[in-house]
Amino acid sequence: MATHSYSLLPSSSSSSIHGQNHQRLNFSSYIAKGVLPAKVSFHSRRNYHLNVVLMQDGAVATPATPVENEAPFKKLRDGILSSVPSTQEFKEAASFDVSKDESTVSITVVGASGDLAKKKIFPALFALYYEGCLPKHFTIFGYARSKMTDAELRNMVSKTLACRIDKRENCGEKIDQFLKRCFYHSGQYDSQENFAELDKKLKEHEGGRVSNRLFYLSIPPNIFIDAVKCTSSSASSGIGWTRVIVEKPFGRDSDSSAALTKALKQYLEEDQIFRIDHYLGKELVENLSVLRFSNLIFEPLWSRQYIRNVQLIFSEDFGTEGRGGYFDNYGILRDIMQNHLLQILALFAMETPVSLDAEDIRNEKVKVLRSMRPLQLEDVVVGQYKSHTKGGVTYPAYIDDNTVPKGSLTPTFAAAALFIDNARWDGVPFLMKAGKALHKKRAEIRVQFRHVPGNLYNQNFETDLDQATNELIIRVQPDEAIDLKINNKVPGLGMRLDHSNLNLHYAARYSKEIPDAYERLLLDAIEGERRLFIRSDELDAAWALFTPVLKELEEKNIIPEYYPYGSRGPVGAHYLAARYNVRWGDLGI
Amino acid sequence: MTFQKVVHADYTSNVYVFFLFSALSFILMLRGDFGIGLDGKGIPVSEAEKEESTLSITVVGASGDLAKKKIFPALFALFYEDWLPENFTVFGYARTKMNDEELRNMISGTLTCRVNQRFSTLPDLSFPIPHDLNADTREHLQGKLPHTAKPSYLKNFELLIEAAGKVSNRLFYLSIPPNIFVDVVRSVGLRASSLNGWTRVIVEKPFGRDSESSGELTRCLKQYLTEDQIFRIDHYLGKELVENLSVLRFSNLVFEPLWSRDYIRSVQLIFSEDFGTEGRGGYFDNYGIIRDIMQNHLLQILALFAMETPVSLDAEDVRNEKSLRSMKPLKLGDVIVGQYKGHSKSGRSYPAYTDDPTVPKGSLTPTFAAAALFINNARWDGVPFLMKAGKALHTRRAEVRVQFRHVPGNLYKRNFGTDLDMATNELVLRVQPDEAIYLRINNKVPGLGMRLDRSNLNLLYSARYPREIPDAYERLLLDAMAGERRLFIRSDELDAAWALFTPMLKELEEKKIAPELYPHGSRGPVGAHYLAAKYNVRWGDLGGDDS
Repeated sequence: MATHSYSLLPSSSSSSIHGQNHQRLNFSSYIAKGVLPAKVSFHSRRNYHLNVVLMQDGAVATPATPVENEAPFKKLRDGILSSVPSTQEFKEAASFDVSKDESTVSITVVGASGDLAKKKIFPALFALYYEGCLPKHFTIFGYARSKMTDAELRNMVSKTLACRIDKRENCGEKIDQFLKRCFYHSGQYDSQENFAELDKKLKEHEGGRVSNRLFYLSIPPNIFIDAVKCTSSSASSGIGWTRVIVEKPFGRDSDSSAALTKALKQYLEEDQIFRIDHYLGKELVENLSVLRFSNLIFEPLWSRQYIRNVQLIFSEDFGTEGRGGYFDNYGILRDIMQNHLLQILALFAMETPVSLDAEDIRNEKVKVLRSMRPLQLEDVVVGQYKSHTKGGVTYPAYIDDNTVPKGSLTPTFAAAALFIDNARWDGVPFLMKAGKALHKKRAEIRVQFRHVPGNLYNQNFETDLDQATNELIIRVQPDEAIDLKINNKVPGLGMRLDHSNLNLHYAARYSKEIPDAYERLLLDAIEGERRLFIRSDELDAAWALFTPVLKELEEKNIIPEYYPYGSRGPVGAHYLAARYNVRWGDLGI
Repeated sequence: MTFQKVVHADYTSNVYVFFLFSALSFILMLRGDFGIGLDGKGIPVSEAEKEESTLSITVVGASGDLAKKKIFPALFALFYEDWLPENFTVFGYARTKMNDEELRNMISGTLTCRVNQRFSTLPDLSFPIPHDLNADTREHLQGKLPHTAKPSYLKNFELLIEAAGKVSNRLFYLSIPPNIFVDVVRSVGLRASSLNGWTRVIVEKPFGRDSESSGELTRCLKQYLTEDQIFRIDHYLGKELVENLSVLRFSNLVFEPLWSRDYIRSVQLIFSEDFGTEGRGGYFDNYGIIRDIMQNHLLQILALFAMETPVSLDAEDVRNEKSLRSMKPLKLGDVIVGQYKGHSKSGRSYPAYTDDPTVPKGSLTPTFAAAALFINNARWDGVPFLMKAGKALHTRRAEVRVQFRHVPGNLYKRNFGTDLDMATNELVLRVQPDEAIYLRINNKVPGLGMRLDRSNLNLLYSARYPREIPDAYERLLLDAMAGERRLFIRSDELDAAWALFTPMLKELEEKKIAPELYPHGSRGPVGAHYLAAKYNVRWGDLGGDDS
């Protein structure tokens, strides 16, 4: 039964669908659980048609298999799922498997003493380690300018490591084992010699095996290029791959971003560059495509015919709190919209890709971005928070932040309406809203559907038909959930309709803790899965949409609308929505 | 639309209840605070009518089981929720000798207030009680209930005289065995009709045993009543989720486009009871599960589900669309019948159907049936509508399951393994128990890697709506009083329904098809699975991961 029709297709380039992703799954669960003997896994992969992927990555999960005919299905449950790797991937996979014992991965966190490294990168690496997702031979190096010993690094790192609730067993032991694989090298970011020393140390640890190297550049943008140069010229792997993860900001506008890309490409190939956007690693953003492409009930609805508007909402309930220096140079449009929200929009709105392979998906995302109209100034509302006193506590204004220049006009809030000029989305407003120091912390996608044409139940809604449309809400954080707002009869005699939600709350349904976005992205980078990383042409297209309006905002010194710290943001956002005859779903009732 | 009453969760304040019993009647009076969201529209009669008209509700067969368990409690619920007009009277009528007190005693044992509506204080009995019932009526009726003599029906019905010359509307609820239906209807039609108001008659199943007997019954009814006086009740149509079916479909843009053969692969209508006939098999044995559940309840739900969009929600528009004439008559090959047999489990033994003393030995009457029906129209061509109904099964449940087709060219199909069949979306409306709506979707299992799994988008009524859901009989009685016929079955609908089942029922009986025996408390005969398999679908309720 495992050899159903599609898995019998001969391997060819056209059947390379999804191979990468599979590879990853295969690999990770294989390592993680070691349930199937290596022989089986390897053998099956060679046989193309019986590619085994373990499914038990620990989810609570009702089995996706039926209960009748227990026996045959049980077998399947233990190992189904075929994939047809392309020849290329097959080779990669095979070589990876064969040489698994001999290859190493060295992960160097450049900027190891920074905040992100401490809070996100090391904990994510540790989580991958104890989930069994890292290869057998791996080494982690911290690299930064601060003078530090290995022990000091370990000490610093250990403070932020924690085991997930459901993985508490032997936690201390695992932390110790992990820390033993962590080392530190102090050096300048622009020093070839320092990187050459690092290279030497890495080689010692790699012990002559095939050495793959991943560099995570967690450093300020002004030293990006130097670090990339040094990495590439002095610390590249000779016989394995070398990949570099780069963090935002990717420039401030089209020009600076292009210059950065150009510089990166002097030293790295496109497929070595992993531009990270951690929103793409969020569970519900990943699930967006699953919802859309694997549910018949959603796919037909995904167009201008049924969707009236899409809203991408991000809000934080705190301000810059003394860290406004970096932010002030970028503002909320660059910091959140042009990257995170736009990436989600692209994923949401793209046409169906040929496959789930990275290049196929990224091709579609670029197409959507390039079909979009550059954002117009009148379609943007900017705001900045002012101080506010509530219950005796005074919350500071943005410009009260010492690190922010006096009189700064940098927006800490923005709302924007974007449009995609293609057959699927023509005329559908994509509203974005992002802000700091708002009343709550939230990131969500809201899909508002059109009215029911000729609604038989019209009279039950009285005048406010606007309130009565369906809405699909994907809450990315916090409390991951999916809600579908439907009209329902209020139980009882008489006929009154009301909104109810069909909902799926992750916390109630899945007992497993949801991995942090960085875990997924690091794992993907290690495995060469580029689906969730931003390609250079995507980045160009994204900047092309925002650059004109950003320039205009700055040239015209547009004054942001002030809103109190902790409020719902400037009312201008409502007028923007009203202009397109829609309503923000998050502030509805 | 007749009802637009806004029902507020809290209107327990300032409510007084009085029970006024008089000759063969009890009057339930209510003084409620009409300011709390209750307006004239909420009452099924207009304000003017309310002032001057009276409504008499006569439960014929008042000593029967249904009357005690359902009809009187439903009337009481309507009363305390303030849905009844100001002047109304309820009469019980039956052959049993009983005096007022006995009737009241019998009834009061089954009356309860809903959990959320219990009165915190006792009724204030000092409130002035209007009492204008004709003393003669009381006297005449006392102790003079007829035994059997048919003429006396006429006589006694004549005596049901409404109070003081108002416009009198009369509703008769016939909760009596089928063999005396026609006599009672004749009596009502000829001698107890209201002269200056309306007279309506609610009739209970069975509506015959087949096309002929049903046709005959309809003909008889129509001798004495016009079509719009006949209210054939199918209490499943009064269930909250069955009512909601049309709301879901017609007021949600996300569902409407999916409602056709393009997206729906099969529809399943499932009814199961976890008990057998338990000594009441006499009536049942003459009908069997197909007549008792399928031909009426399940088929009605099917018709509501599958109908085209009606012109409006008016009764005639809806009933025009519900007409089942585009369906293919059911074929014997598309039916599986079963009968439960005795079964011992952990020391307890459960009887077989034929162990029931009221069931003839060797009865072949099916207590379980599964059937596949088809609708030959543009919307539903080729979509199997599977029905399943049974007694003495492992669970009590009534639900509608809509199974959607596969995602064509599913990008994620590798993640499902081979069993793509299991990975389709499904919309489930659970009618009882624990009313709920859920939509089964494919979702990524959180975690590293990419594994898909089905999860539910849920709406559990008890979690969302704290109010108790009214019983189906309340809604239907109220509709009958208001003259809302949407949820009652019109004669042509009934004919069409019988036309679908009669040939197969005849064949089943003529060929003496032996039912497949299944243990009491089991999941029913496996034949049902083979029937589903024949149309390449799978019962959604026995998937194992969804109980």
